[in-house]
Amino acid sequence: MAAAAAGINKQVAVAVMEPCIRHGRGANAHTVKVLECGVCEDVFSLQGDKVPRLLLCGHTVCHDCLTRLPLHGRAVRCPFDRQVTELGDSGVWGLKKNFALLELLERLQNGASNQSGMADDTLKGMGEVSRPRFPQHQPGPVPGVASTHLFPSVQRIIRCDEDESHTASMYCTVCATHLCAECSQLTHSTRTLAKHRRVPLADKPHEKTLCPQHQVHAIEFVCLEEACQSGALMCCVCKEYGKHQGHKHALLETEANQIRASILDMAHCIRTFTDEVSEYSRKLVGIVQQIEGGEQIVEDGVGMAHTEHVPGTAESARSCVRAYFADLHETLCRQEEMALSVVDAHVRERLIWLRQQQEDMTILLSQVSTACLHCEKTLQQDDCRVVLAKQEISCLLETLQKQQHQFTELADHIQLDAGIPVTFTKVGAVPPSHPRLAGSESINVDSSLFQDNRVHIGPKMEIRVVTLGLDGAGKTTILFKLKQDEFMQPIPTIGFNVETVEYKNLKFTIWDVGGKHKLRPLWKHYYLNTQAVVFVIDSCHRDRLMEAHSELAKLLTEKELRDALLLIFANKQDVPGVVSVEEMTELLSLHKLCCGRSWHIQGCDARSGMGLHEGLDWLSRQLVAAGVLDVA
Amino acid sequence: VMVTQFFVFLYCKCLWRSLKFVIRKFTGRCELQRICYNNKHGARRTLKIGMPNSSALSVPPDKVEKTVEDIMTLKKINPDTNPQLGISLQGSLLQIAGYRNLVAEVEKFRREAYDCENVKHEEMLMKLWKELRPDTPLTARISKQWCEIGFQGNDPKTDFRGMGLLGLLNLLYFAEHDKATALQMLNDSLFSFAIVGINITDLAYSLLVGGALKTHLYNVAPEMASLQHFQQTFCYLMQEFHGFWIEEDPSDIMEFNRVRSKFHRKILRQLKNLDMLSVFLIVVNCRTAAPVVERKLNTLLSLKFSRNL
Repeated sequence: MAAAAAGINKQVAVAVMEPCIRHGRGANAHTVKVLECGVCEDVFSLQGDKVPRLLLCGHTVCHDCLTRLPLHGRAVRCPFDRQVTELGDSGVWGLKKNFALLELLERLQNGASNQSGMADDTLKGMGEVSRPRFPQHQPGPVPGVASTHLFPSVQRIIRCDEDESHTASMYCTVCATHLCAECSQLTHSTRTLAKHRRVPLADKPHEKTLCPQHQVHAIEFVCLEEACQSGALMCCVCKEYGKHQGHKHALLETEANQIRASILDMAHCIRTFTDEVSEYSRKLVGIVQQIEGGEQIVEDGVGMAHTEHVPGTAESARSCVRAYFADLHETLCRQEEMALSVVDAHVRERLIWLRQQQEDMTILLSQVSTACLHCEKTLQQDDCRVVLAKQEISCLLETLQKQQHQFTELADHIQLDAGIPVTFTKVGAVPPSHPRLAGSESINVDSSLFQDNRVHIGPKMEIRVVTLGLDGAGKTTILFKLKQDEFMQPIPTIGFNVETVEYKNLKFTIWDVGGKHKLRPLWKHYYLNTQAVVFVIDSCHRDRLMEAHSELAKLLTEKELRDALLLIFANKQDVPGVVSVEEMTELLSLHKLCCGRSWHIQGCDARSGMGLHEGLDWLSRQLVAAGVLDVA
Repeated sequence: VMVTQFFVFLYCKCLWRSLKFVIRKFTGRCELQRICYNNKHGARRTLKIGMPNSSALSVPPDKVEKTVEDIMTLKKINPDTNPQLGISLQGSLLQIAGYRNLVAEVEKFRREAYDCENVKHEEMLMKLWKELRPDTPLTARISKQWCEIGFQGNDPKTDFRGMGLLGLLNLLYFAEHDKATALQMLNDSLFSFAIVGINITDLAYSLLVGGALKTHLYNVAPEMASLQHFQQTFCYLMQEFHGFWIEEDPSDIMEFNRVRSKFHRKILRQLKNLDMLSVFLIVVNCRTAAPVVERKLNTLLSLKFSRNL
């Protein structure tokens, strides 16, 4: 009984574990040596790295080796005949498994496990008696568990002991033989033998295993002591006088039944678990299909089935990317064309003007030389003629002087500079000469493109900035420090100040609006066309931070400021013990507040000017396309 | 250009001195005498004295008398024959020293930051409230009520940042000594009284430090100008600004800086006029000249009414 239980146990374990952990190389390698990967010479396995996969040419290589093959684009070369096999999205995983090989492998393994199960050491100590009969236990008297899909190899045919070609159908309890109906009739035909009790095979009584120590006694009890776990089985002699004398014990049958019951429970659990696993793998297959896409059979209205190509998610993602970049390319092309046309127009105008000037100069030159000639001619004439020509000459001189005057004036005015400084703006930096118009095509840039790449010709690019903040934050001081690099006596600003500050090749027009309560509703008049907002916060005043926060939050909801850059100056950082930049970011929850817009917080000190230029640097980096700033 | 520079240099070094020498020989008077006799008392004379003798002008006020004597002996002027010269010179020197002292004094007050711990400062602030809002008691030291008299926030302290105590002193002086105009301005509420006061203080301060107020103060103060003179000037500027604002009729407070700079230019123009005494003096002493004030107020009121209509 115990042996049977142990045997079943082993079977179950093997059956369950097989899909997960069997890698084919260990215990049963000797049985399946034929099935090796031609590259690594490792034995194929049903799952995992060593699973056999088919190439287009028909060769089979294990998964592991396939992953190691060098990729030629999206294809691999067969290591045997160099034929090319295209790989799909899932790469090597997408190649079909060699199912024929797998089936073979499985069969071999099952056969092997049946035999190796006999050689198992669990039963080694059981004595020779039980050995040959072991396979008979395998059909398993546990009908619940013996469902076909768990134990495909368990339902086995038992041969008739009289004739190998017959199939046994009954069992003689006296002779202990398996017999078919025919042979039973034949062998038990004598009167004595006819009395033998024969039962159908299913009702065959279980064998009594004999105790290895006391060969005459059958094992009837199980020791329950911890110490005897390894050899718990005992006969009545062992129990009364042998090594288990005085040990706690139970009847073998009850113990076996208990174990059977627990196996049943376990089998139940296993079944749900296998269901889950198979469900999950089914889903995986589904998802792989969804990703890869493929043919699907669809029935149309008439009931005619036809295949239809369903695009996978991979395909749609790819097309999404393609569309995005196509859009980007298109926009960039458009922007490039626009910029080039601007430059062309500029160059044309300039050249026309220069040519005009050139012509004017030529005319002037010829006029002057004519006058010179005339003068020379007059010089050589006799005295009377010279005197007569006096009027004419003076007139000539006068015009010459006038022309000279005009020329010097013009020359002063014109800067002879062949340079064409070019700058590119990012979003929001609209030169004042091109007011931002709603709906205008060139300005309505796709919001996903963060640059409008507008070209700007000229030495300086103008940018409109508004400085806001609570009263006393230091807006005006910052403005004048930037403007004149001097520290102004701070007095409350009534109304606003406006100054232009030149920095690198940018010209900031900074509007500084008073922070007084009454003035705050008026801030909105200064938002229009503003490319950047500079919000100044007094780092000394911890108690006013919340007020600043609410003003800033209000500001960020303004529609006109949606695209504006936000530069936050944490002013007065020179005072010891002030709110640090990091702390302020935290306190004002700036990351949350300014989510989705370009913003920057800069510690500064308006008195010394520390940090101010870093702030402007940030602004210019945001406003002007990268790299151009240094070139221009 | 080099030649011009050379001549200017030569003129300054030698010619001016020799010219002075020649004139002195001619008239028998030295330059100081000429200035004192040819210019009447006030800005004209003091400014001229102040111009060439800048080195001699860093005289402390208590040594002025001795300096005058020294100058007289140095220039060999007989005090008996020229009794007027000594007095004039002394007066002018005192004015110059006084101006310098005033600048230092004003600067000292400006640099003194408003201190909440200082009882005197707090008292002054409370007094300002009582003067401007005699009927409403202040509920708390830090209160929204301060906005009523034109401060920016709940605590006036922050508004005194640039001008320090000077702003408070000026506002208080204005409220105490020219209450009618102050209340009038407050009630007009065309702009915020207190911060406009601080802005005008800044204007007055820059005029004083820039030296533009010399004309006015030399004319007003016979000897040394005191802080009171400065404060009176402030009162005058406040009144003028109020009128100017109404005349300019700006659309909103945002135009303040434009109006202010225009006003600044106007005042500078007025101060260029060396005899500019009339308007300035009359209004500064308005407490004694009640009818003038009344007339002025009437014009202001009529202006305001016409605006409202």
